[in-house]
Amino acid sequence: MTDQTTAIAPIVSAHGLRKKFGNREILHGLDFEIPPGRIYGLIGHNGAGKTTTLNAILGLTNCEGTIRVLGEDPFAKRAKLMENVAFISDVASLPKFLRVRELFALLSNIHPNFSQEKARSFLEGTDIRPEAKVKHLSKGMVAQLHLAVVMAIDAKLLVLDEPTLGLDITYRKRFYRRLLEDYMTEERTLLITTHQVDEIEFMLSDIMFIRDGDLILHMQMETVSEKFSQLVVSDPASAETARGLKPVYEETRFGQTVMIFDGADRAVLETLGKVSTPTLSDLFVALMQRPTVNPGDAR
Amino acid sequence: MDDFHSGSPIFIQIRQRLIEMILRGGVAEGDPLPSVRQISADMQVNPLTVTKAFEALVDLGVVEKRRGLGMFVKTGARAGLLTHEREKFLSEDWPRIAAQIKALELDVSTLLDQTPKGTPSK
Repeated sequence: MTDQTTAIAPIVSAHGLRKKFGNREILHGLDFEIPPGRIYGLIGHNGAGKTTTLNAILGLTNCEGTIRVLGEDPFAKRAKLMENVAFISDVASLPKFLRVRELFALLSNIHPNFSQEKARSFLEGTDIRPEAKVKHLSKGMVAQLHLAVVMAIDAKLLVLDEPTLGLDITYRKRFYRRLLEDYMTEERTLLITTHQVDEIEFMLSDIMFIRDGDLILHMQMETVSEKFSQLVVSDPASAETARGLKPVYEETRFGQTVMIFDGADRAVLETLGKVSTPTLSDLFVALMQRPTVNPGDAR
Repeated sequence: MDDFHSGSPIFIQIRQRLIEMILRGGVAEGDPLPSVRQISADMQVNPLTVTKAFEALVDLGVVEKRRGLGMFVKTGARAGLLTHEREKFLSEDWPRIAAQIKALELDVSTLLDQTPKGTPSK
């Protein structure tokens, strides 16, 4: 028992995580654990509480309940934790007046786990020159530079909040490729939020759906494909039978009925139409409309 | 590159690509397969998924893990895979294809003499 718990000590654990801004409660008591070596996707609408959750993990906001990152309270031990936690947020920026070379020098002075050599090697093969000023770089290049900076930090947890926002598809692909090729290991954990969820669907090992301050789904991707099924039916009779199996979502596309089921027997569904695993974005749309998705058995 | 379809799990699709690679002779027996990291980055899939695909091939007895060096194609892998894939074709694909040939009232011997449309003739 003790062996097991030390072997898989979670990177992040939250219990009854609550946050109020004035009278408005933004997070309604989240419970979750994030084990090491995994790539997590945190998915939700704007205003659902994603950024507040990330800020709680990064120690940028004080919440009710408990949250531990690498065993420490991030709000109280922020400076210490930042040695092992790196992040890119959608609003973070790099000092525009610096040259790339100066930025790296500055970082190696202020961050104990930042390696200038690594950062420089990550820029090889890009168009970013050490003498270039940050303000003269294009948006895509700034994103590459930012990624090079965070990957050059030997962190255990990397938090990416909309890291590819506003980048074109080539840059987005290159960004994730870099992460998988040069950063991800069994000891490291990635936590990503993005609205372009279909692009990273296969990269993820786990997902968390957050809706109106509640965690409505927290599951390994493998379980998602076992638990949820999508059925496409063309004839009304089969659609009626399928409806009897209580889909969690239904819509009509090009005269075909598309339904999503939670825990239905695939063998039965196969007799009614074409069965597949829903994409994350389809599942997201389906579950965001339900009143409750029994968060109790979300794991 | 990342043209996965939603029909079967991703690790099965990766396993199948690796099988095709070995069958086509893309990787010879005794040679190393691409690393988990390489495939993960190329296909933009989770490294655990790639590992699972490799484990499936280890279970089939066609690849072996050499500590610190990665995955290697075993001797006799191609012959083993041919047997495996033939059995799979005969039990899973052939009944469906045979039924379709029958339903369309096609003649098997004429079919075999024809070059399928759309495939370039050699």
